[in-house]
This record gives sequence, C-alpha cells and structure tokens, in this order.
Amino acid sequence: MAAVGGLVGLAAWVGIARPGGPLDVERVSAILAVEFPGRTLDAVWVATDGSGALVRSGGMALVLCPIGDGFAARQIPWAQAVSSSFRNGQLRIDLADIAAPVATIALPSWPPKDLAA
Amino acid sequence: MKAFDPVQMATPLFIITIILEIVLARFGKVKANYETKDTAVSLGMGLFSGVAGLLTAGVAAAAAIWAWQYRVFDIPMTAIWAWVALFLLEDLTYYWFHRLSHERRFWWAAHVNHHTSQHYNLSTALRQTWTGGLAGTWALWLPLALLGFPPAMIAIQKGISLVYQYWIHTEAIRRLPVWFEAVFNTPSHHRVHHARNPRYLDSNYAGILIVWDRLFGTFQPELDEEPCRYGIVKNLATFNILRVAFHEWIGMAVDVVRHPRHALGYVFGRPGWSHDGSRDTSATLKAAWVRQQEGNVQVKPDAIA
Repeated sequence: MAAVGGLVGLAAWVGIARPGGPLDVERVSAILAVEFPGRTLDAVWVATDGSGALVRSGGMALVLCPIGDGFAARQIPWAQAVSSSFRNGQLRIDLADIAAPVATIALPSWPPKDLAA
Repeated sequence: MKAFDPVQMATPLFIITIILEIVLARFGKVKANYETKDTAVSLGMGLFSGVAGLLTAGVAAAAAIWAWQYRVFDIPMTAIWAWVALFLLEDLTYYWFHRLSHERRFWWAAHVNHHTSQHYNLSTALRQTWTGGLAGTWALWLPLALLGFPPAMIAIQKGISLVYQYWIHTEAIRRLPVWFEAVFNTPSHHRVHHARNPRYLDSNYAGILIVWDRLFGTFQPELDEEPCRYGIVKNLATFNILRVAFHEWIGMAVDVVRHPRHALGYVFGRPGWSHDGSRDTSATLKAAWVRQQEGNVQVKPDAIA
C-alpha cells in the first residue's frame, strides 16, 4: 500500500502526463474523426474551459469527455443532449453508461435556440 | 502448495523498474507517460487483484490437485525436459486463455480492466483482474495436471509467464533484435495487443512466445505508419476503480435483463455483440476500417453506440 502511494506520488510529482492543452474545434474534429469515422459534424460546442465538447451529428449528439490527459467519446440521441440539465454554466449530460456515467461541459448557455428541435 | 512464487519474488523489481521508467521519462531518456489517476487505478487494481485472487485460489488449487490424482503420466518436477515441455504447453494454454478472454464477452468482462488504461507503461502491466478466478479460466490449465504435471510446477510456470509479461508493457523499448521479435512476445508486439486502432484489434495474444500468434493467424506487427492508440474501443470516462473492475459485468447483466431471450448471445457472444446488430464488434470495426481505407465509407449513423 505504501509502495503504491509512493509510486503514484512520484508520478504526480514528476508530471509526465501527455501534453494536451485545451480543445478547439479543429482538435475536436480530429478526435471525433477517429472515434466516429465518416460522421459529419453539423455543429460543435467546445467547453469554455476547453475540457470537453458536444457535437451534433444528424440525430445524434457526440460527447467528448475529458478523462485524465485523454478523452472518452460517447454518442446519445440529440434530444437527450438537448434536454440535459444546465446550471451555473455547466451542462450535465447523463450518458446512461456504467463506464461513462456523466459528462459535464462548461458552456455559456444551453440549449442552443436554433438547433434544439 | 507452491515451492516459490515468482510474482512475489519479482515485486521489488516491479517497483524499482516503474521508478526507473518514470525518472528516465522525466529526463527525456525514454518514452513514457504517466497520468496520476491512471497510475493510481493501475496500481490499485494490481494491489487488490491479489486479495481477490485469494478468494478463488483455494478452489483452483483443489481442482488442480483433484485432476492430478487422475494423471496420465508421472512427470518429475526435477527433470529439465519436464520444464521445457511445461514451458511450451503452459504458454500454448495461455494463448488460448487470452484469446478466449478477448473473443467471448463472459471472459472479456473479467479481462477488460487490464486494457482500460489509455496509457501503456509498466504500471499498466499491474492493472490486473479482480474477477478472473470467478470467471473460471483457471480450468483451462487442468489438462496439464491431468497430463501429469504437478500442480505446484504449473503454478510456478504460470508465475514465470506473468513476470515475463510485465516488462513488455512499455514504450521505452522500441524494437528488439529481429530473431527475438520473431520468437518472443516483445514490447512492440504487446503494444499492438493493447491498441484500439481497428487494424490492431484482436491480435497478439501471446504470453511468452509470439510463435502461437504466427501459427494461429492472429499476429499483427506494429507499423510505424500507424502509432498505437491505447485503451478499449469505448474508453472509460471514469477513474472509479469499482467501475473499472466491474463495468463490463454490469453492462452484461443489464443486457441480459433487458433482452432475456438473447441472454446467451449477450453472455457468450463476442464483445459488442447485440441481437439487433446495433453495436460494433471487433469484426465490424475492422470491416468498416477496411472500407474506409478503400475510400468506400459506409458508416451506419448509430453504429458506434
């Protein structure tokens, strides 16, 4: 147990996670091209802190959740994304997945008026 | 029962080499990335896998001893030929255990946690299963006891195999000499095994000898033009260690409850199998990738659910 704590502490201290940086539309597109190849991205919302994104692709919402220095991607029906709770600048999306329960994305507003239908 | 435990003996080596990999990576001497929470989950899984293993170790040991009572041959533990034979047969058993663990959901549920890290470093090697004993894969080694190999000998060889497989979980070693890469499982071969690129899925199941993959058609070399992306097809979005350990079991149970008529398919089908074809298996992902490479992209809108 002490050894595990020591190794985790060392990993944290030296800081050798993958270099990342905040997301932008270009990077989101590149990641989603790998996660959902061939899908068209109709509209992209990047989190204001650059740590996640939500994309409309036809009738589906593609969600990019930050996890450590990487990302996990999921898709849910667009209507489900639109009806997600939005409070204090945080969109909380229930992904209904035991391995990816919730995505929280910081956005200025939600839902988008012109795309909510 | 065991004369000695290779894994227990190697534990100090695990700790020293992880420190070495982290320090050398920090100074840019080797390629390695460690993310703090990811490392904590890997090491936590390793720490508690031993505890979880104890719960079923008695059953597995009793089964091996029972099988050995009906042995076909008396194989001496002191003979070199016996160790050579066991090395080959145990490694062949491991290959099929590992292949089964990837190709059937019930056993994938126990094994998947080893693949859940998006990193590939020495700590990933220790991200071991908590439910392997419950999944009953230890039964695959019973034929060795029936053949006549003493259970202690089998346990030692399994430990040696596990220790061998530790050091290949690294990006610090790029390629080894051609003759070694041809015969043995190496960091390069095993990086491919941990990759989620469609081209690399379901390949390189070897324990120590990569020759089994070459023999059974599952070998895939690491290609410079296609760097490995690590993790699983649908990466986890959580570091909750309980979700890491049990997510596939829970997902499987949910599927069985929702679709009881298709329970067998959801339990013993390939990972990703679904009764309506709405999900992707390795095979469909590979086929989609091939189509994409051919410039004929035909992706179902909801295929990657």
